[in-house]
Amino acid sequence: MKSLHSESAQAVPWLTRSSVERPGWVIAGILAITLLFLTQFPQVETDTDPKNMLPATSTVRVSNDEVERWFALHKDVMVLGIVNDEGIFTQGTLERIARITHAILKIPGVVVRDVTSLTTTDNVLAEDGQLVVRPAVAEIPRIPVAMVALKQTLLSNPLFVDRLLSKDGTTTAIYVPLEGGANATVIADRIKEVLAREVGSERYYLAGDPVARDTFGIQMFYQMAILSPIAGLVMFVVLWWMFRSLTLVLAVIGVAMVSIIWSTGLLIGLGYPIHIMSSMSPVFLMAIATDSIHIFNEFGFRLREVRDKREAVFETIAAVGGPVLYSDLATAVGFVALVTVAIVPVKIFGLLVGFGTLIILLMSFTLVPAVLIQLNKDRLLQEVRSIDAASSSWLSSLGEFSVRNPKSIGIVGCALLVIAGLGLSRIEANNNMVHWFKPDSDIRTADRVMNARLGGTATAYLVIQGSTEDVMKTPAMLRDIEGLQRELEEDPRVGKTFSVVDYVELINRVLHRDAPAYDRIPDSVTEIAQGLFLFGMAAKPSDLDNVVDYPFQKANIFLQLKSWDAGVMADLLRRTEVYLQAHPLTGGATLRPAGIAYFNMVWSDEVLWGMVRSFLAGLALVLILVIIQLRSLLWGILAFLPLFFTIAFIYGVVGFVGKDFDMPVAVLSTLSLGMAIDFAIHFVGRFRRHYATEPDLEKALLWTVIRPGKGIMRNAVLFAVAFSVMVFASLTTYITVGILIIGIMLLSAVLTLVGLPALIVLFHKRLPLSSEEIPR
Amino acid sequence: MKTWIAFCATLSLIVLATVVQPSTAVAVDAMEIVQKSQAAFFEAGQDLRARIKMVLMTREGQQRLRELTMLRKNFSAGEQKYFLYFHSPADVSGTIFMVYKYPVKDDDRWLFIPALNLVQRVAARDSRTSFVGSDFSYEDVSGRDVEADTHRVLRTEALGNRQAVVIESVPMREADYARKLTWIDQTTFLPLKEEHYDLQGELYKIFTADEIRDVQGFPTATKRTMMNMKTGHKTEVVLESVAYNVGLGDEIFTERALRRPPEKWLK
Repeated sequence: MKSLHSESAQAVPWLTRSSVERPGWVIAGILAITLLFLTQFPQVETDTDPKNMLPATSTVRVSNDEVERWFALHKDVMVLGIVNDEGIFTQGTLERIARITHAILKIPGVVVRDVTSLTTTDNVLAEDGQLVVRPAVAEIPRIPVAMVALKQTLLSNPLFVDRLLSKDGTTTAIYVPLEGGANATVIADRIKEVLAREVGSERYYLAGDPVARDTFGIQMFYQMAILSPIAGLVMFVVLWWMFRSLTLVLAVIGVAMVSIIWSTGLLIGLGYPIHIMSSMSPVFLMAIATDSIHIFNEFGFRLREVRDKREAVFETIAAVGGPVLYSDLATAVGFVALVTVAIVPVKIFGLLVGFGTLIILLMSFTLVPAVLIQLNKDRLLQEVRSIDAASSSWLSSLGEFSVRNPKSIGIVGCALLVIAGLGLSRIEANNNMVHWFKPDSDIRTADRVMNARLGGTATAYLVIQGSTEDVMKTPAMLRDIEGLQRELEEDPRVGKTFSVVDYVELINRVLHRDAPAYDRIPDSVTEIAQGLFLFGMAAKPSDLDNVVDYPFQKANIFLQLKSWDAGVMADLLRRTEVYLQAHPLTGGATLRPAGIAYFNMVWSDEVLWGMVRSFLAGLALVLILVIIQLRSLLWGILAFLPLFFTIAFIYGVVGFVGKDFDMPVAVLSTLSLGMAIDFAIHFVGRFRRHYATEPDLEKALLWTVIRPGKGIMRNAVLFAVAFSVMVFASLTTYITVGILIIGIMLLSAVLTLVGLPALIVLFHKRLPLSSEEIPR
Repeated sequence: MKTWIAFCATLSLIVLATVVQPSTAVAVDAMEIVQKSQAAFFEAGQDLRARIKMVLMTREGQQRLRELTMLRKNFSAGEQKYFLYFHSPADVSGTIFMVYKYPVKDDDRWLFIPALNLVQRVAARDSRTSFVGSDFSYEDVSGRDVEADTHRVLRTEALGNRQAVVIESVPMREADYARKLTWIDQTTFLPLKEEHYDLQGELYKIFTADEIRDVQGFPTATKRTMMNMKTGHKTEVVLESVAYNVGLGDEIFTERALRRPPEKWLK
């Protein structure tokens, strides 16, 4: 017997041979390693800080840190919006604001000195011939006249309006900066406890970066701990429906689990935190693991033909080994190419999934054969027989259709490509992290309400750097800054700007008994200097520190934007540039953008161009890989086309639908690269092998569509079904990813099965088809 | 050996003293000690003239310099008048801050802004305000109503080579601290050190008297630092050419003098 299968045994790698010889050892060994990686899991940490998208050494982060130091700014600020539609100037509401502020001050981790609320921020005003500096709401008026007066006073301070107080007096905000390393979740929970104690008609909205990050973290765990297992379960059911063999199903799931546990365990063991991208890796790996379907699919056919388990295993691996190897390599290459992207979590995600794919590849040649050889042959044959021909019949009509209508398919394909091109041209790169949440989520609601009523939740800074000290006390420079502020405020998406100019004007007006004519920049340096000195003598020093640096050489313009869209910041910077060209800054001063909105813009650009670069690199690598595997340039290009069309169609649709091309959407291009080429490699490889034994173009193509094609369809459906689970996620990011992947998988399978036969028919005269050119 | 024994003896005496003292007496004592301390620190002499250099320093080492002359005169019934004339920064030179301090009612404050030739009344406001952008609050500079806090003697201990009583003060009226510990020198009654704790119970400001000199028989803290532990910002104050009982006339502390400052005292 042994000599009988020695021929096919020779054709498989020794790893597979040894796995078939000692299946028990192999399975036990893999299990042991898996347990080892599993021990790392309890140390898991998450990182939801968008700042970590770029490395700490990146120019923009170094620059942002510097600006934060120059102006004593806080990295993390929560915003509590308080809305009373009747107006907040009632005794009850003001008392509640005071109580809430006081309670927030007592929460550990809150920067006590810089909590900004109506009861902690100073107002500077002229009153009865006196200069008065006191908290905006120092005492709560008990008579209506005094209440009206208070409202008028506060609304006349431009530094408060749209920041601390809405123009209509219905909304106020409390800004809560957090100490470095403070736990935002704990603080947010404490604030919610404080709010829960208050009864009244006010509505509260908790927003800001730290809150969003925490919600992220929770959703990520939800994704990993609940959605991924459900996806696994769904795959289980579909696999069982396809193969009716529990062992087979468990083997596929096992391969996925092994790769997920090894790669995630390694990531955790190396001390990397889980990021929003890597939290999706289990579902990705599960999907990629479905590649082993090709082995089971072929094994089913082979077993019926040779009726010997060992021989069937060896023949299967000999037949599908090549395509499995190259398709997994191509997938891995596609993901590993992501390391060229500057976005740290994307790099890690790429390596994570790339590594996981290689594990899947390893398992395909070890664990899978070891499991196959353990199966009960008679039961297996029985089970395998139940693989009915129903789906094959529609595959054969599909194959016939493609082989008979190659030209029409080509024309339709080209037409669709043109339409897709139109969609592609409409694609807009944008990252808006608030939009990663569902429209009715607390975060987006809070964001919407605050943007509608106050200046805006997204902040950016424009730092003006003068060439000499004290330049920020000169009228010329201050007028330049004011001019720029007014220019930027022309954009409706800019809700509020403020700078040292606003303080200078306020103090000038107050020193002139509130005469509106003095609501302007004074004409002399000494007036400005003494006004600022007075302000520094009277109010909280940090108020000024936020807008001018110590030597009065740099000034900081605060921008509050009503949108987190990266495009808004880019527009504003263009607008600034145009304006500064026409109105150059005094004394050759320069401008430097900073802040979270600017940061988002920078990494958004990184995402776009980084992804495009890595995608092109991946594309080139995959093309080279396919050409090497198929040993033909034309075959390589041909196998490449379904991938090309898939990507064009998917992103064309993204362009038409108006979905932002953001990070998760961009990363998908890499996945589609890996998967679509997968199908083509299987198709072309198997077709050429079969053509060598049966050199009839049409028959060989039909065979390929029906037999390996079934594996491809099964793979695609399984993949799509597994990802459909993500539609139930509560972050829109996951939902988008889920839907697009389903699209990519089904589309690339169909394009492979319809497009490739048509293309092969069209180009068969130029394709090297003779048997001697076919690689082993 | 002798000094060692002496040290142990004093230490045990101190320990005994703190343990044995009845608590009611402590409460009375605490108030008295704080009063004496305020008198020694803020009210020494009939009047005072000093040139003050104030350096404001950020954590990164950036500095702002303030230089001023302080003229202070004590009046009857605990009333005090301050005249603070700023020499630098250059662009604020000539700015004057004048304060009438009353033991019970709110201060009267005036500001002279030379660029506008304007005398501006300034409302006395809550105590949290920083003094000219420094880490000192107005109360740190001119004193706080003793009755505004409850005081308690915690212990006596050596601080450097001085013996100090440690007093805990908890405000009953608004303050920039939620709790304050003061080390008061048992002989001079000058505050040697203060620790200010915030609402969260965290140490956020530390005052130290870095140099104490005898000026005309008045122990005077000629070098002081206030450090903000939270921001890393600190303010160093150096008193130069301190002179007591120089004979400041009442006419210096008037609105008219704001526009025509007494050059004699400002050199």
